[in-house]
Amino acid sequence: MATYILRRVAWAVVASLIVLTLTFLLLYFTPDTQLAQLQFQAAQAGDDPEAIGAAYESYHGYDQPIHVQYIEYMGNMLSLDWGWSETRSQPVTTAIAEAIPYSMMYAVPSILISSVLGVAIGLYSATNQYTRGDYAATFFAFFGLSIPDFWFGIVLFVLFSGILGWVPIIFDTTAATFSLENLAQFILPIVVLTLSSIASLMRYSRAEALEYVEAEFVKTAKAKGVGDWRVLTRHIFRPASVPIATILVGDLLGIILVSSYLIEVVFGIPGLGTLSFEAIRDQDTSLVMGTVLLPAFLTIVGNLAQDIAYTILDPRIDYGDS
Amino acid sequence: MTTNRPDNTTHPPQTDQTPSIPTANDGSTATSRSTPASTINANARGNKTIVNSNTSTDSPAHDSTAAEASSDAKTDEMLLTVENLKTVFDTDDGTVHAVDGIDFTVQRGETVCIVGESGSGKTVTSESITQLFKSPPGSIADGSVVFDGIDLASRTEDELTDIRGARISHIFQNPQGALNPVYTVGWQLIEAIQLHRNVDDDAAREDAVDLLNRVGIPEASSRLDDYPHELSGGMKQRVMIAMALACQPDLLIADEPTTALDVTIQAQILTLLRELQADFGMSIVFITHDLGVVAEIADRVVVMYAGKVMERGSVYDVFESPSHPYTKALLECLPGRGSLGGIPGSLPDPTAPPTGCRFADRCPYAVEECTVGEQPVFESVGGEARDEDIEHEVSCVHYRSAADPSVLDQLDADRSSVPQERPSGRTVGTRDGEGGVARE
Repeated sequence: MATYILRRVAWAVVASLIVLTLTFLLLYFTPDTQLAQLQFQAAQAGDDPEAIGAAYESYHGYDQPIHVQYIEYMGNMLSLDWGWSETRSQPVTTAIAEAIPYSMMYAVPSILISSVLGVAIGLYSATNQYTRGDYAATFFAFFGLSIPDFWFGIVLFVLFSGILGWVPIIFDTTAATFSLENLAQFILPIVVLTLSSIASLMRYSRAEALEYVEAEFVKTAKAKGVGDWRVLTRHIFRPASVPIATILVGDLLGIILVSSYLIEVVFGIPGLGTLSFEAIRDQDTSLVMGTVLLPAFLTIVGNLAQDIAYTILDPRIDYGDS
Repeated sequence: MTTNRPDNTTHPPQTDQTPSIPTANDGSTATSRSTPASTINANARGNKTIVNSNTSTDSPAHDSTAAEASSDAKTDEMLLTVENLKTVFDTDDGTVHAVDGIDFTVQRGETVCIVGESGSGKTVTSESITQLFKSPPGSIADGSVVFDGIDLASRTEDELTDIRGARISHIFQNPQGALNPVYTVGWQLIEAIQLHRNVDDDAAREDAVDLLNRVGIPEASSRLDDYPHELSGGMKQRVMIAMALACQPDLLIADEPTTALDVTIQAQILTLLRELQADFGMSIVFITHDLGVVAEIADRVVVMYAGKVMERGSVYDVFESPSHPYTKALLECLPGRGSLGGIPGSLPDPTAPPTGCRFADRCPYAVEECTVGEQPVFESVGGEARDEDIEHEVSCVHYRSAADPSVLDQLDADRSSVPQERPSGRTVGTRDGEGGVARE
């Protein structure tokens, strides 16, 4: 098992290196907007654009051979020197570090609520299949899956901020993290994000648990005299948790990373999504790279966690090192 | 297994087993063997008053102490009395009458085999005893399941949970799927022990090792930490048996426990069950479609078809003088006996059971009377019973007191003279026994 985990970690490192290398190559072949701007200004001022260009490239090390640039780039990445954001006049890592708390303020509650509630409702649906409760949960799930985040967010925003005035319209960054004021401005994003991520978890948990509700070993447990609750938690949920762990990490992460763009822009939250969105809009190359790399690493870490979760949850997986 | 078929009266299949059943630790079983057959018959036929007095022993309604004493004695003999049990499943295609009014009894220490083809309601019967079937859609629509004086059919789920595994245990057909793949064998065994017995972890673990030893698993203490996927099918079934025995149940319900195993393992498991029955003095309800297995282990046989009991009696009577045409046809299907073609036709639609005898459509002896009314009431087959304690009864119009069952033999003779003739439904039989001499 130790060997297996080490191998998974090694693969995660390899995957990270591939992501970094691809990013480097993309950047290497991308025309530099700043260089173009400098040369344009130089030409307007009557200077030699070529000389300015050469000076710029030599200043940034862009005249070096590709492998030297690559090593330099990788060194910077590993030492968390992710470049300078021109639009924000601060290091990329600082900009990201400032944005992360705002994203977490709605993502963490949303992940917790949707994983706990999603699995719980899914299990309820499975054990009470084709009852009114199951139909209600199914309706809720398909509603959450079908409705676009940004649209639902706008509707809620208009209703509760604009018409009813229950939650603030302008996002206030000065509100303390654990305050009612902060809760009021985060409640709608949490609801929207939870709704979209809970649905797939619910349906998935339901399908997985259903597979085990009918399983022979569940009948064995019942025949042994195991009560309903223990049958559900120990004999159905426990084996079902193996496949559910997949969606919990992988899918949830994906939904939240994608949704964060839409939700943050709609609600004006200065989190990672907004940061990335503005960086792309303003062609701030270093910042775009930083905000794209972070989710990529998160996904790699998530997949690693998922692989390790499998080995802990399912004794049938052969580690190949015994 | 076919070598043990009881088609030879000089070597009854039970000779090695019968003495082991009345064990020293269950005196009532021994006495039940010597009880006059008439008393048992009253019970086997489902005497309502006895059941009622059992379920309400605390009520002062009984003015006759003698009657109470005798009913108590019968409670001791009869571990399980199933009466008019109806289990239905509500499906989109209609209500499936899986078990449609069956009666049978299980004495303490005896083995009752329920036989019949697939879909005849055997498994549903076994699951109806402690209501293991999924509900909804399944439910017990009518009837009673009186286990040791308690009517299980009217008990709440919580009360049934206390009985399951403690007093009535199950083993199932497919050991591959019957153990939870994510827990060790020991975890599952200890769970079974601790659910009903107040013992600490160490004591439960010791008991688990003892149980695994008892069911013949080598290196039991290290096997305890194995996961089910690390055991063979036969070993898993032994673990299942160990789990079923964890609380020394009074009744073990075995639903085709050997069907998924290969033949040598089958024999080992059957031998093991017989040994354990002798040790623990428990009763066994054994569901199977393998008549060879029935001949090996049964005391009493219940033949089911389409949710109804066709014939019941001692294993000797049922095998030596099969009376219902369905039982005859089943025995004909044994390898080396008559046709290999099976029984022509198929089971009736369980959502719309036919009137009259369920088997009439496929029965070569069917007459018009077979297709009207209800399933015929049980009639005693008569003749010389090979086990005087167990009534041999059959649900067939040809055995009514006014009818002459020898018509079946007559038809057999006719059929064998024209061997290529296949039974073609209800028109085959004739009722020349009508108005004839009554039996006995």
